[in-house]
Amino acid sequence: MSGRSATHGTFTLERVYDAAPARVFRAWSDVAIKARWFVGPADWHLIERAMDFRVGGKERLRGRKGSGVVSTFDSVYLDIVAGERIIYSYDMRLDDRHISVSLATVELKPEGAGTRLTITEQGVFLDGYDDAGSRERGTRILLDQLGAELRR
Amino acid sequence: MTERSVTHATFTLEQTYDAPPAKVFNAFADPAIKRRWYVEGEGWQVEEFTGEFKVGGYERSRFRFRGGELIRNDTTYHDIVPNERIIFAYTMTIGENRISASLTTFEFKPAGAGTKLICTEQGAFLDGYDNVEAREGGWGHLLEALGRALQS
Repeated sequence: MSGRSATHGTFTLERVYDAAPARVFRAWSDVAIKARWFVGPADWHLIERAMDFRVGGKERLRGRKGSGVVSTFDSVYLDIVAGERIIYSYDMRLDDRHISVSLATVELKPEGAGTRLTITEQGVFLDGYDDAGSRERGTRILLDQLGAELRR
Repeated sequence: MTERSVTHATFTLEQTYDAPPAKVFNAFADPAIKRRWYVEGEGWQVEEFTGEFKVGGYERSRFRFRGGELIRNDTTYHDIVPNERIIFAYTMTIGENRISASLTTFEFKPAGAGTKLICTEQGAFLDGYDNVEAREGGWGHLLEALGRALQS
């Protein structure tokens, strides 16, 4: 018995930001801006960040949590429509354990002078890893951090 | 200007084959075998089928149906457990239009002397060019073609 399993799930989150779609898009496409909000919690320390923002390009974010566990995000960009949409697939690893693969769709629509952002994550959690909602909570925190960046 | 839209959907297909998991897995891992059931077929012209079956590897397919528009499949492998599981993300593009981005999980489970193959696709269908019913039908045909390849 291998203990292999794959548990599929989806969640969607929405935010309205008081910034135009072009500016919200830049917060995802410009590595210097993204580095200010796409980060772990206070006790998390950056080990490696690399980003090649184009279709087929890869991104990596690796950091050490306060617990000592190293988390690694490895992503590939699948679709980019400037100012409107970004789709990427990504792996998460905790130390050497591959815990998930996800497809993320970020849609940006004008809303008044601002932007409605919708993020949809279709994911598969691997080999008994129990997410228990933490990915969705983590994504909410990232969207809050993006909001703080856009208010700078 | 293209009106942008995304429709997210998930489907699961199951097929049981007489061949053991190692043989069914090999029909995905061996490019000469995979080419026969995955890209070749009556009416299809294959212009390119290249790739690297390894985690992080890309696979490129370029083909036309009866001399029609160029169809592109760009795949990235996220997870490979020999004889047990393959997870990949891929986009489909027809002409200049990207029509979908998907995350696909194949699980290979022993079933008597044979294999139960479970295909779960989590898809984002783009700009009204594609839909989940067509994709599910397409994979259904491919799994039948795989069955014929396993008998030869």
